Amino acid sequence: MDYLDLFENDFLVSLPESFLILAACVLLMYGVLVSSPQKHALLVNVGMLVVLSLILALALLWTGPIQEMVLFYNSLKVDYYTYILHSLILVSAICIVFMSFDFLKHEGLHMFEYMILILLSTCSMMLMVASYDLIAMYLAIEFQSLAFYVIAASQRDSEFSTEAGLKYFFLGAFSSGILLFGSSLVYGLTGTTNLADLATLLTGHAAMPAYPESGLYVGLMFLAVGFLFKLAAVPFHMWSPDVYEGSPTPVTAFFALTPKLAVLGLFTKLLYVGFYDVIGSWQKVVMVCSLGSMCLGAIGAMGQTKLKRLLAYSSIGHVGYMLMGLSTGTLEGLQAMFVYIMVYMAMSMTSFCIILSLRNEDGSPVTSVNELSQLSRTNPMLALTLALTMFSMAGIPPLAGFCSKFYLFFSALSASLYPLAVVGVLTSVVSSFYYIRVIKVMYFDNTPNMHNFISLDTSKAWLIALTLGVTVFLCVYPSPIFLVAQKMALALCV
Amino acid sequence: MINAYALGFWGLTPLVLYNTINLGVDSGPMLAYLIMLPMVGALVLMCTPSQYTDFIKLTALNISLLSFVMSLFLWVGFDASTPNFQYMYQINWLPFANLHLTLGIDGISLFFVILTTLLIPICLLAGWSSITKYVREYFVAFLILESLMLAVFCTLDLLLFYVFFESVLLPMFIIIGVWGSRERKIRAAYQFFLYTLLGSVLMLLAILMIYFQAGTTDLQVLLTTEFSTQRQILYWLAFFASFAVKVPMVPVHIWLPEAHVEAPTAGSVILAGILLKLGTYGFLRFSIPMFPEATLYFTPLIYTMSVIAIIYTSLTTIRQVDLKKIIAYSSVAHMNVVTLGMFSLNAQGVEGSLLLMLGHGLVSPALFLCIGALYDRHKTRLVKYYGGLVHTMPVFATIFLFFTMGNIGLPGTSNFVGEFLVLTGCFQTNTLITALAATGMVLGAAYSLWLYNRVVFGFPKTHYISVYADLNRREFFMFVPLVVGTLWMGVYPEIFLHDMHASVGNLIHHGTGYGG
Repeated sequence: MDYLDLFENDFLVSLPESFLILAACVLLMYGVLVSSPQKHALLVNVGMLVVLSLILALALLWTGPIQEMVLFYNSLKVDYYTYILHSLILVSAICIVFMSFDFLKHEGLHMFEYMILILLSTCSMMLMVASYDLIAMYLAIEFQSLAFYVIAASQRDSEFSTEAGLKYFFLGAFSSGILLFGSSLVYGLTGTTNLADLATLLTGHAAMPAYPESGLYVGLMFLAVGFLFKLAAVPFHMWSPDVYEGSPTPVTAFFALTPKLAVLGLFTKLLYVGFYDVIGSWQKVVMVCSLGSMCLGAIGAMGQTKLKRLLAYSSIGHVGYMLMGLSTGTLEGLQAMFVYIMVYMAMSMTSFCIILSLRNEDGSPVTSVNELSQLSRTNPMLALTLALTMFSMAGIPPLAGFCSKFYLFFSALSASLYPLAVVGVLTSVVSSFYYIRVIKVMYFDNTPNMHNFISLDTSKAWLIALTLGVTVFLCVYPSPIFLVAQKMALALCV
Repeated sequence: MINAYALGFWGLTPLVLYNTINLGVDSGPMLAYLIMLPMVGALVLMCTPSQYTDFIKLTALNISLLSFVMSLFLWVGFDASTPNFQYMYQINWLPFANLHLTLGIDGISLFFVILTTLLIPICLLAGWSSITKYVREYFVAFLILESLMLAVFCTLDLLLFYVFFESVLLPMFIIIGVWGSRERKIRAAYQFFLYTLLGSVLMLLAILMIYFQAGTTDLQVLLTTEFSTQRQILYWLAFFASFAVKVPMVPVHIWLPEAHVEAPTAGSVILAGILLKLGTYGFLRFSIPMFPEATLYFTPLIYTMSVIAIIYTSLTTIRQVDLKKIIAYSSVAHMNVVTLGMFSLNAQGVEGSLLLMLGHGLVSPALFLCIGALYDRHKTRLVKYYGGLVHTMPVFATIFLFFTMGNIGLPGTSNFVGEFLVLTGCFQTNTLITALAATGMVLGAAYSLWLYNRVVFGFPKTHYISVYADLNRREFFMFVPLVVGTLWMGVYPEIFLHDMHASVGNLIHHGTGYGG
């Protein structure tokens, strides 16, 4: 009893996470014990229960009585920043589950563990963004990565999926190793793993660290490299196109959306809370990666013919833009980055939903861009949706993609990072070339072979409608999302 | 049934107009209504099943006519005695970042608003029967385009100007690519898109720099902000990169003939009528009053580029074989006369350039409509297949003659007044440039008359021309407002100039500091 008193309110605050862990255990037992011959029915059943528990976790999160607190001996911290990130992670996980049903049925993947793994990785990502300590951070990242290695390789009869899982595992484990080495260096040289303590220790070290601290600098670099690996930023991006291409599409969508948010959220926290006073030492690294990612994202996608590879390179480019916001070191930059990632999530949700719902009449999924020809005839609304999403990703006003980009460029300019802003606008022009190629294929090409697609299911239709609404109408009234992003940035910098 | 529907629609208009007039008095959200009207129409049409083509066509036409009438009421209530912006209305957009959608018009933008709303019904009529695929989407695209163009001319915020300036790309890209006539249209659509985008992102950077420096993008505040000369030069060049593509100035004009040739008729009408004006409007609204020193610094550059463009494109026009390309190149020449006039920075020059923009916005679309009428009948645009049309299409020959004369700048037509004022204004600043630019007038007459000769006179080439249909009633009435406008502006331009004087004087005062 005394032991519990030590963490008086901690379990109260971490109720959503605890609930999710519990739900995962219960659902796992349920799935194993009730293993029925109708495997898909079981999958749907477990999937709906997973959605229900995610919604309940969301409700717990929103109704939680304590808004801001440091938990469990400074290893987790909950505030407005994590509150919004938690909400976004939960919402995107709910969307992913809804997107998956149809796919799993068509591909004959009747494993309910898939749903449990999504639940577990969601929980791990929630812990990740809340972590306030290098150890907690590393543990949460590993928890998340393990779940992902398994679902990346879940399509066992496809060699692509197996290869993707293997690649993802190797490079993920490698980057985790780098991250761990960085953490141990930092710990060895400072004697602390807590971000707040690190910040206190580093106060006033604005100049380049002197000799005794140079090891700390190396540790920070290792940490940054580990994170940039996880974000698939250039030059640590090699795994991303292959993994995107090989993994089952809903899993790709999950990769593209949620871990990006969580890893970027944690990376931001690490840099802005723990190491903000040595900004001179990490700003340039992030800047170079941002430049590289924007350029490679624009040029690499040019020659792609596969839809998912195209989106992989496009997401590398988008990570470049997000890192631009991160490298500014200002409130505006952070705000722009959060707006960008929210808009990016809406846009890629739409595009992945559309890719998932495009299936030829014989049941085979659409993989290459050219198969989209005549989509404007056979399915005009879907074509219009994809066209608007592509225009938005290219950053053409008045769509949401522009709304998020202009503030990013503004923050880069106001932080005097002129090369970043110039390269950013130029790569956004170059990348618009391949985005409008998709539109060209759908609207202008007159190929004789007509692909008929089976109609999309209701849940994806709703998802597409909702996310497209964000894409199209955000520019009409963008202030709420900007205000939320600003509050997040402020919460981080307190 | 159709008549009953039309009656019902227009039966409501007195009510709407009564309200708009009332609101116009205290400068309420009339401009916002005007911008929203086509957008709402587009939304309604988007929800209409696509097989009700008659309903779609009539609704789109009625809405565009209604917005034309509304824009005329803007003119009626316009106060010509003041250079201030009128019908001001502000919508909070990103309040904490000090970005507001400020709407307002002055003597410079008033007539562009009216020109836009005048041309859209004509565009819809031009595609009335020749558009057979994606009919609903065609009308929706033009209504959305109308909304965005009106917003460009009405907005008084730099960033939002950029937003609308760019967003015109989306419907236009689709219009060229989907309803264009040949396979080369894809290349044209790409060129149009990428040229414009590349130019304008540099402007975006400049706008963000201005925003960073001044803390606002409100035009009325920026007009009173002083920028250092170096910065002015930098910003001016960035804006120039965007506007020069749109105008188009000579090295970056390649997209225009391509886009014009491949666009459907109505697309060309909008390209020539409005989109080319966006660049010159941008110069007039932003570059000249905001960066006066840079403007003076770069005037020789503009003069040189304009004169090169006038002579070069006029000569190029003579050797073209495609009817649409001829008109497209002649548009380039005319628009460069416009830039010449506006950078002469005196009242005659600027008002002349404004009048020439309006005149060209009537004449050039009319010529594209003429060519569209020919293309609908004979499915070719190459000059060599045509000849002797006067025998088979007398009404067409008459209208084509009228607008050919308008394009030359015959006294009594709108273009004459514009060109005359431009040359007068320019003569006061640079004699040599004026003399060189005046040769463009001769060359303009050369290509226009030669084109008319080849198409209309001579014997009919009966091997090629086997359809003998003159203009039908719809096509004839499409030209009527354009003829009326051209003559009116040519015979009595004061009615247009009257409303411009105050604003232009104010602009020159800003631009040069020594008053109009």
